[in-house]
Amino acid sequence: MALLEVKNISKSFGNLKAVDNASFSVPAGSIFGLLGRNGAGKTTTIRMMMNIYLPDSGEVTFRGINAGTDFNSKVGYLPEERGLYKKMKVLETLLFFAEIKGKKGRNVTKLAKDYLKKFDLADRMNSKIEDLSKGNQQKVQFISTLLHDPEVLILDELFSGLDPINTNIMKNIILELKERGKIILFSTHVMSFAEMMCDHIAIIDHGKIKVNGTLADIKAERSHCNISLNYSGDISFLQNNPIIKNISDYGNSVGIKVKEEGQIQQLLKLLVDNNVEVKKFDANDISLEEIFIDTVGEESVEEVKFV
Amino acid sequence: MFNYRVIALIKRELREKLFSKAFILMTVLLPIFMFGIIGVQTFIMSFDSEKSVVEIIAESDRIADNLRSIIGESSFIKDSTIIPIIMHLSKLQFDDYVNSKEEELLTEEITGIIFIPNSALEDKKIQYYSKTPKNMRLLERIDNPINKVLVEEYFSSKNIPVEELQYARMSVDVSSFKIAEGEEIKEEGYGGLILSYLFSFLLYISLLMMGSMVMQTVIQEKSNRIVEVLLSSVTSKELMIGKILGAAITGLLQMVIWLSPVIVVASTSWFMLPGDVVLDITFIQVAYLLVNFFLGLLIFVGLFATVGSIFENPQDAQSGMWPIMMLIMIPFFISMSMIENPTNPVANVASMLPFSAIIVMPAKMALVDVPLWQVLLSTIVNVATVFAIFPVAGKIYRVGIMMTGKRPSWTEVIKWLKYKY
Repeated sequence: MALLEVKNISKSFGNLKAVDNASFSVPAGSIFGLLGRNGAGKTTTIRMMMNIYLPDSGEVTFRGINAGTDFNSKVGYLPEERGLYKKMKVLETLLFFAEIKGKKGRNVTKLAKDYLKKFDLADRMNSKIEDLSKGNQQKVQFISTLLHDPEVLILDELFSGLDPINTNIMKNIILELKERGKIILFSTHVMSFAEMMCDHIAIIDHGKIKVNGTLADIKAERSHCNISLNYSGDISFLQNNPIIKNISDYGNSVGIKVKEEGQIQQLLKLLVDNNVEVKKFDANDISLEEIFIDTVGEESVEEVKFV
Repeated sequence: MFNYRVIALIKRELREKLFSKAFILMTVLLPIFMFGIIGVQTFIMSFDSEKSVVEIIAESDRIADNLRSIIGESSFIKDSTIIPIIMHLSKLQFDDYVNSKEEELLTEEITGIIFIPNSALEDKKIQYYSKTPKNMRLLERIDNPINKVLVEEYFSSKNIPVEELQYARMSVDVSSFKIAEGEEIKEEGYGGLILSYLFSFLLYISLLMMGSMVMQTVIQEKSNRIVEVLLSSVTSKELMIGKILGAAITGLLQMVIWLSPVIVVASTSWFMLPGDVVLDITFIQVAYLLVNFFLGLLIFVGLFATVGSIFENPQDAQSGMWPIMMLIMIPFFISMSMIENPTNPVANVASMLPFSAIIVMPAKMALVDVPLWQVLLSTIVNVATVFAIFPVAGKIYRVGIMMTGKRPSWTEVIKWLKYKY
């Protein structure tokens, strides 16, 4: 059942159509990835969901009701551009953000301390925000989105600027929240995270939703006759081979599409015969990165690769 | 309008402002500073240019003698900042004498030479020779005894009794009486003036201080991007209300701290004030002052917050601040002009106009009896101003806080009013 629905929302700034008739729905207990390049319209969409921008048209509903201020208090929101009061202390900050969501008292304080412990920040409870490192500030901000026990988490560019250890802690917390039936929506342009965590995705480009559905369905639809290959050596001899439909170089891997399913084994033999060292050969499989690049166009390859 | 979100915001503002060093220092230091200024002024004024040697030369022997006996009594001899040397010389001798003293006059060994010709007994004209002939303070002190001697000399030949001379010498002494409705006529001192000056000054300082404090936090929230986190929990209206009320409560508290000594002095007899300084202030006036001040804070802090929302850094905001500064400063100068003339017609009108009523009315109330209808009208104008500016200010604030990047022009800001947010 779709709990959170975005229906035909559009938003223009002057002549720029930032979001153009976008629709998608987020079912209960799932992790939803909103994927897109920089400036594709992810943040604008999320801001409309949070009532920060009013859509020019369309609506956002939660449990079938138009999402208003009431909805906001059920959401934990992490904006792309993080911000905290520099002069406030860590615990004070957390309690303030919980209080404007309507939660205060001993339980909240205890929960805040528990989370700080989890993130290895217990000893910084009374430090000023400005004295924390950027990564630690990031963690405090993440905790502040969880303290009021939200039903929905909307996380814009969740993993940007985090080291692998903290990324992992956050990942685990998110998976744990999913287990507890929370709805989680995050935006990212880092496909590996999305692939690892999302059940549902939507790819947005130039304000329009290009792909939308469960990750499994989307992959199944596109993986037919596709081989995801990791190798070392020279594969240029494949260029003009009649069994090859096309070859896309994605940097880490190469996506090869053959014309018919029966030709997959033929391709493997061809590679081995030509002394190509095959490290990974996934038949009828496609990575999210490949889908993303195919969807939003070749011009974005560079940008995505170096993220 | 008041819900847990607004209350949480107000609490945060209060915590941040009340415990800030700027607030504590300002609240404590301003009164010290004000009295300090007065003290410094008096202190500097008390310096005379060291000791001045003044030669007083009379053409008549008798006048010189009389001067000698009379100058001995006057105050400048006692504090001896002026050392008079009294002689008599004829007109012809005097001209040569001045020439011979030129050197000493130029080096200021002698500050000046006064010559009293005999003709002064008819026209009271005397001459002063000096390098700096316009030393008002010195001449003011010395012309009194000279006048006295001349008057005495003049009348001594006219056979007039001493008592009558005494009367003629007295100057007019005005006692001012204030006529007020329903009160006994009583003597009016400088208390009203002092209060009027004090109210205008405190209002001026406090509005500017609270206003720019709020503007700073709005700019800070905008440039730190905290505002987006806040807006995911509260509406922009709640955020603005929380901010303004937080500052208004802080300001009000500060004003109560500043006014409490005045109220204590005015309402008790613990402190001995000079007879002509009576701080005549009633409880109702104090209440009015605080209500008026609170409205003023809502209006001006609101305007400052709006300006803050337009800009992303304090430097840019300076340029947007001046129209509001003018709205505070011009009424302040009008208040000051009333101290010269309490019935100044400009002030009379300004005390009932939007924005200026906030600052001019309290000063006017301290000086003259303001009819009740004027007080009510000015309060109604103030309340109406609050209701008139907030829809517009709120809209600009709403759009402004999420608008980053290029510094917007005024025409763009006007366009914001049409935005759908």
